Order: sequence, then C-alpha cells, then structure tokens
Amino acid sequence: MPTPQRLTIVLAPWCPHCVPLSVTQGRRLARRLRVPLRLLDIDRPAQEKAADRLVRRYGDDAPDYLIPQVFLEWSDGRVQHLLTGFSEEVPRTARAWADLLRSAWLRATLRGARA
Amino acid sequence: MTRTGALPPRLRRTLAPHTPHCYRHCQQPLRGRTVNGPAPGWLCVYACPGGAVSVVTYSEWTNDDPTARLLPFLRAHTGPSTLVRRRDLRLARRHGPELGAEAERILGRVIPSRAITTVYWRLYPFKRKDGTVLRPFACFRHRRLGVQFFVAPGDSGAPRCSHCPAPKK
Repeated sequence: MPTPQRLTIVLAPWCPHCVPLSVTQGRRLARRLRVPLRLLDIDRPAQEKAADRLVRRYGDDAPDYLIPQVFLEWSDGRVQHLLTGFSEEVPRTARAWADLLRSAWLRATLRGARA
Repeated sequence: MTRTGALPPRLRRTLAPHTPHCYRHCQQPLRGRTVNGPAPGWLCVYACPGGAVSVVTYSEWTNDDPTARLLPFLRAHTGPSTLVRRRDLRLARRHGPELGAEAERILGRVIPSRAITTVYWRLYPFKRKDGTVLRPFACFRHRRLGVQFFVAPGDSGAPRCSHCPAPKK
C-alpha cells in the first residue's frame, strides 16, 4: 500500500495566501502525515525550476500560475495535487486549508498510513 | 445529475468567498453576479456596487482546462478586446477535501473522479501615459448584449460602457 512521502508547497514570500498561512498549515499537515515539508520559492531561480516543473506536470499550470500550490508525493511515485490558493481572497484560502485538514480524505490517508 | 461540466448550485455555494471586499478600488463589499457565459460552466463576476470588477471566475465540473472556451467569450464582451490577455487567465482545480464535507461527498461519488476547474480573470489596475489609473468595470445594463467589460478611471463613480446612452445635459 503506497504511503505519503513528502509534502511540497510552491509559494512566494510576498504572497499573503502563502506566508504565513500556507506555511503554517502545510507544517501542520506534514506533521499529521509524518512527512517532510518542502517549500519551493518561485523567486529563487534554483527553486523556481523545480516549482515550474511540478506545476507544469501535476498542478494548475498557466503562463502566470496561481500560488500557493500544494502537492503530496507518494511512495509509488504518484504526485497528488492537493490545493491551489483561492484568487478571491485570503480567508477563502484559509477555509480551504481548514477543510483539507478535517477532510475524510485525510482521515482515510492517516488510517492507510497506520495500517 | 448534471450534464458534463455543469456545476450544480450546491457545488457553486462551496466556491463562494467569505466576506470579499473590492480590490484596490473601494472598501465596499463585493457581490458575485452569475451572468450568461460560455456553456456548460458557471460565470460569476465579482464587482462592487460601483461596477468595479475585482475578479471574474468561470467554473466547470471537469478535469479539462476550460480556458479555450472562456477566452473568446471575454474578448467578445470586452472593449477593447486586447484587454483580455492569456496571461491574466489563471487556472485552479478544486478537489473535494478542500471544499468541505458536503462537496467532498458529492465529488467523491463520481467515478472517474472529476475536480471543479476554475479559470480566474483578474485585470490589475494600470496607468495611462498621463498618469490616470484605469481599472476594469462591468456593465450589466444591457440584457441583449449581456455583461460588458471596459476600463475607466478608478475614481469614477459608476462609469458607463460604450453601449450606454450618453447622459442628457
């Protein structure tokens, strides 16, 4: 049975949907999944390439794509897109994180990881 | 059941923002207006009472990118059409777990799984050569033409689009 391996957030330090909201909530999710958290800053050239690759292949790609984007890597090599920030307003992105952290999907994933 | 791509009202509700306020124009609350747009999705224009547009969203219940359907519609309803640039359209897929228990149940029942895919059109205010700051507005007055997007100085109260008759002097 595949297990979660790593959580990645594609972000920028100036984005209020990313910092501190998504970093804080991402840490919380990574802790619950017992996986490391990787932050990819699109303003750092070295990390930008990895971020673009991840978004292009598994995320919500656009010429000027939305951030944050959150991905979960699994032991079978699958990469799951979990969340993209809501362009409407920061509180809507906060609600998405809160819903994700109490979702049936997360409970099932944790049960699977423990089994 | 809904036809492929259409978004039932129960799912539309899960996408709604909390307490949105006008973006870089006034502090008035935003109202999301559903307008006739490209089928089969849901087109919503978030504008303040003065008509200043903060963001336009187009959502479909599909894993495909609906940008190609939205782009010609926006260009046909925007004066000038060159204001609608591909780089200002941004994509986001919404999955069940991030949308609350009800949406997670509804989306989880569909096999193979489909996300809700939303395209955002946000046109940021920009400066003309004379220093005037222009920003996008929407006009909902013309039933036959549907919504009309245009730019006007940001400090104008409720500007009229090119289809509105000029005010009597």
